[in-house]
Amino acid sequence: MNYIINHKTQNIGKEMGLISANAATIERSGFSKKIEIVAKNWSIIFIAILTIIFSFTGKGFLSLNNFQYIIHLSTVFLLLAAAETFVIITGGIDLSVGFIMGLSSVLSAKVMQVIYQGGGTEPLSILVGTIVGLAVSLLPGLINGILIARYNVPPFIATLGMWGITNGITLKICQGFPIASLPPSLVRIGNGFFIYILPHKVMSFFHKPPGIADEEIRELVRIFPLSIFFSVIVLFLLWHLLKNTKFGLHTYAIGGSMDAAVRSGINVKKHLILIYTLSSFLAGLAGVFNVFQTGIGNFTPYNAMYELYAIAAVVIGGASLMGGKGSIIGSILGVILLKLLENGLQISGIEPFYRFIAVGFILIIAVIIDQLFPDLF
Amino acid sequence: MQEYSADKINDKFDRKFLVFLGRYWAVIFLVVETIIFSFLARGFLTLRGIQIVFFFGTAIFLLGTAETFVIITGGIDLSVGFVMGFASIVSAKIIVALTNSGLTPALSIIFGIILTLMIGLIPGYINGILVARWKVPPFIATFSMLAITHGVSELLIQGVPAKNLPYLANDIGNGYFIYIVPGKVISFFNKPERIRGETLLEIIPNVVVFTFILILIFAFILKRTKFGQHTYAIGGNVDAALRAGINVKRHLTLIYVISSFFASSAGVIYMLKYVTGKADAGAGFLLDSIVAVVIGGASLYGGKGTVGGTILGCLILAVLETGLRIKGMSTFDKYIAVGVILIFAVLIDQFFPELIHKGD
Repeated sequence: MNYIINHKTQNIGKEMGLISANAATIERSGFSKKIEIVAKNWSIIFIAILTIIFSFTGKGFLSLNNFQYIIHLSTVFLLLAAAETFVIITGGIDLSVGFIMGLSSVLSAKVMQVIYQGGGTEPLSILVGTIVGLAVSLLPGLINGILIARYNVPPFIATLGMWGITNGITLKICQGFPIASLPPSLVRIGNGFFIYILPHKVMSFFHKPPGIADEEIRELVRIFPLSIFFSVIVLFLLWHLLKNTKFGLHTYAIGGSMDAAVRSGINVKKHLILIYTLSSFLAGLAGVFNVFQTGIGNFTPYNAMYELYAIAAVVIGGASLMGGKGSIIGSILGVILLKLLENGLQISGIEPFYRFIAVGFILIIAVIIDQLFPDLF
Repeated sequence: MQEYSADKINDKFDRKFLVFLGRYWAVIFLVVETIIFSFLARGFLTLRGIQIVFFFGTAIFLLGTAETFVIITGGIDLSVGFVMGFASIVSAKIIVALTNSGLTPALSIIFGIILTLMIGLIPGYINGILVARWKVPPFIATFSMLAITHGVSELLIQGVPAKNLPYLANDIGNGYFIYIVPGKVISFFNKPERIRGETLLEIIPNVVVFTFILILIFAFILKRTKFGQHTYAIGGNVDAALRAGINVKRHLTLIYVISSFFASSAGVIYMLKYVTGKADAGAGFLLDSIVAVVIGGASLYGGKGTVGGTILGCLILAVLETGLRIKGMSTFDKYIAVGVILIFAVLIDQFFPELIHKGD
């Protein structure tokens, strides 16, 4: 076995001391080809298997409502995972996304609250709050990027420092209490659906059909949470960015080999700064969306470990912490796998602690598969 | 030909000053910080105050030492926080079980601790196997272990914190090494009967003694034994270490076992101090331990770092947190401060790389 030592400086892999096995060429006999296919798409297969299992063990798992619920809840994580995808492909890591999300949640909520309580109209307060939240969320990423690209601070440390700083600032703003008294429309938008159907009777768009009796509400079928449109649009844009533009190409290049990227004329410093700013912006977007979803501005709790979940999802989706590999689709699958697992276990009545254990196991499996079949993703 | 122009001499002094600042910035920072807090918080720079810092900081010291070993090999251990919590729960449960089955408090505590430390090696062993044999990146492997130990801890408690520990545990955990009634009594480990009006001096909490014995032993191992040298070698260049005949796989596994050992020791000490077991007892200290190691001069790429440096880093953080706590300041500020210190530490390391690490 040959051991290749990875000497990339900006590289989380070297930071973390990963010894990468030399990828021997895999013989493509018939049988191993089948194994390849399984391994390559293991996350999809896993999702399918889990779905089947949980539909037996959990009442109500296999329902339109539940699936939409899962996707609805995943929105925030999808954004965070997308953010990490870009960063991880360049061989870096961003530990601050969880708290940046909290910061933008709290900040945008605060602005909305102040304007709304001060007599502003709902649309105005919501709009201004959103803009402020998004604008401010560019800042931590910019700082991260400058520290990493220009001052050669290891991404782990730079984003860890920003992790602490953003958390502290967030808590200072909200003093430990979620920010409430926000415009009520927020929750309607955030949790609204595209189509509401009362079977055989009424169909309406964007809000519940007016004038239905209470007993009939239970029969109401809701399709396409608005959050799906949101996620799909954002994720599609990001997917396109990563896959089809020069920006995306450069991202992979930097992750593959920073020296080669520099030599081929890519402005690596500028690109990295952009990457971390993008990551932090997406985290900010997640934070603002969270306000729409929950109706309050909540800081990220200490133990939530959102960033670690996002990173886990990206790795499950096939990215390598050494950089150069990964995809938006893979990360999406990773998030769905994790969220599905969590939801399924919850509906099946399994206590929370097993969920932690399950996530840990899946992560290890993901990485081991990645080790065994390194060229497939 | 040497030139003695005035400019040159000035430059030399300035440069020497900068070198001094760069090399000893951590010590200077600690001193400044202590002075600031001694003004801000009454009673900070007293015998009692200083001991509080150490008493509170035992977890940081132990976890920091754990991370030192791992980080020198170029890895990282994210699970130490929850292994600590796990150990606190396991030790509490075992001791309670032993006491209930008739063993004396002293014996049950001793056996409980020994068993816990043995069990606490398991997470580290698994980490080591994952990292060394299955080539899982340390970040991922130890993160998974974090999740798994968290789950197991919660499973063990089922929502009810462990309690009903014998009083002896509390006495040990909160007791001191030396008790002095000036002019009358000196006693070790046992609090003497005190008559009203007499002052009782308590010196060096027991838990601090345990902590530092452990740390000193392993600091010695790191610095003076072949094991320590191999650790640095692996961190410096794995390939070269392999070719030099070092059994890297086994060594790395041992390193993570050591880390886990320290984490469980921290858990045991937590149990002794607070007479309970909590799953997230150590969660807050993970960040601190890594920051302390970096402040102490280690590089996340491996190959550099010392236990002494880490202890310095731990002190800085322990002083900071204790000071903020005494002052009644919110923990919010702590996060900001720690984040800033971390970045500061690394920047300094960038600007003065040759100077920080004497004798490297």
